[in-house]
Amino acid sequence: MNQPLLAIHDISFSNGKQTILEHISLTLEAGHFLGIVGPNGAGKSTLINLIAGLQQPDQGHIDLFGQCLKRFNRRRLLKKVGFLHQLHDQQPRLPMRVCDVVLMGLPGYANPLTSAGKHRQRILQALRHTDMEHAFDADYRNLSGGQRQRVRLARALVHQPKLLLLDEPSAALDSKRQEKLYALLRRLCDEQGTAIIMVDHDIAAISSHVDSVACLNRHIHHHARKGESIPDHIWQSMYGEHIQLMAHDAACIGCAPATGHSHD
Amino acid sequence: MTDLFIHFFHSPVMMESLLPTLLIAVVTATMSVMVLAHRLSFLTVGVSHSSLAGLGLASLLGLPLLPSATGFAVLIALLLALMPQKKGISEDAGTGILFAGSMALGITLISTSTSQVNLFGLLFGSILTISATEQLWLWLLAAIILTSCLLACRSWWSIAFDATTAAANGLPVHGLRLLLYGIIGLTAILCVKLAGIILTAGLMILPASCAWLWGRSLSGLWLLSLLFSLLGSGIGLLTSYAMDWPAGPAIVLALCVLFIASWGISWLKNRVR
Repeated sequence: MNQPLLAIHDISFSNGKQTILEHISLTLEAGHFLGIVGPNGAGKSTLINLIAGLQQPDQGHIDLFGQCLKRFNRRRLLKKVGFLHQLHDQQPRLPMRVCDVVLMGLPGYANPLTSAGKHRQRILQALRHTDMEHAFDADYRNLSGGQRQRVRLARALVHQPKLLLLDEPSAALDSKRQEKLYALLRRLCDEQGTAIIMVDHDIAAISSHVDSVACLNRHIHHHARKGESIPDHIWQSMYGEHIQLMAHDAACIGCAPATGHSHD
Repeated sequence: MTDLFIHFFHSPVMMESLLPTLLIAVVTATMSVMVLAHRLSFLTVGVSHSSLAGLGLASLLGLPLLPSATGFAVLIALLLALMPQKKGISEDAGTGILFAGSMALGITLISTSTSQVNLFGLLFGSILTISATEQLWLWLLAAIILTSCLLACRSWWSIAFDATTAAANGLPVHGLRLLLYGIIGLTAILCVKLAGIILTAGLMILPASCAWLWGRSLSGLWLLSLLFSLLGSGIGLLTSYAMDWPAGPAIVLALCVLFIASWGISWLKNRVR
């Protein structure tokens, strides 16, 4: 087996008042597509933020590309990571062209002489991934929410990251676009060996695309690989007693009626 | 009209103040883009007013005015950058408190000081009486501000657009914010000589506000802001000479007129479309 791109060793995190994450361990190899599901407030976004180095765990450590993520090497390691967070401020204020937004994802952006024209091909390629190449010169403020989300995704992809961290990337997209997005992510894993961690609330939608699903609610309750199912008691301990499971696709992870065996 | 130009360019006082005014116009045009992008208009008001305490302190202790005021304004700006992190106080309340407090301290200190201070000049600007030392100080400050801007403008812009992603890309967001606040403090002091404590915020907000309706990218916005700023300063200085008005208020008024024109034309254009 290859050396894992990402190895999380027993991390815990609290916000000072309450524990958000406890004893999380996880490894991810190149080309692996991991979906993380869990209820609101389960710590899904926090886990993504910890991996992106935005917050530091209280205990445990994170190895990125074989090196322990520290303050001094953070900038270098994160150059190989693509990151898309949940957007709270929906309406953009700054006058920006779409190509400039994508250009921001390139490491040379801080140099004032770097221009979208110089990197036209790379930007177009990233926009082509998300079907937005026609909007190269468009005003970012005039796009719809879904189109902006696709441009933001292109920004995360433009430097061809080895690890992609996505927090609810399908939130603003219609179901057809969601399917296209998942197919694109699958292709990136298979063809370019990108490792992906994607937080999503809709397990049915992602299950046929991902390699494994981790059920998170403060700690990882279960980690199911493709073809495995998630037992009923896991669902109940995550979402409460009132959940009713409906199996609608035998091939999908977690949807099949529970057989009772646990992976971890 | 031609006579006015000829007289203007033959007036030694005007020629002396023209270059510093244009220098300030370039600096404020540049910084106003960042002030608007980061929504720091109220900070510029707070920092420029708080420089009165620095000036008061300097006049009481007999220290050189501009360097002391510069140090004080930067200190206040950095305090404001750090304050919201200490929970329980919002940034605008913090700015309001420091603004009022330092203004009160400044007036008290100046009123008890024995040395003569031109309070009207401090409050509304006195570019026409600029000394050689002050000119040198202006050039030094402008060089620091423009160099920092050149090096950090893209990073600042990126943070204004999406601070979380900027941090995840490895940018030292906190350090860059501190630098921005400090540089805004320096810019405020640079403007005080021209527009005075009260009108400085006008110079630091209006140029980019005029350009905001038209710009489509950072560079386009900056060029337009520069154009409006130079135009406003030129018209203002000329009007102040023709009508015998104080220069700072005339420039701020000219910028206000440009803003209204820019806004009106943009509004009409949208209606026609």
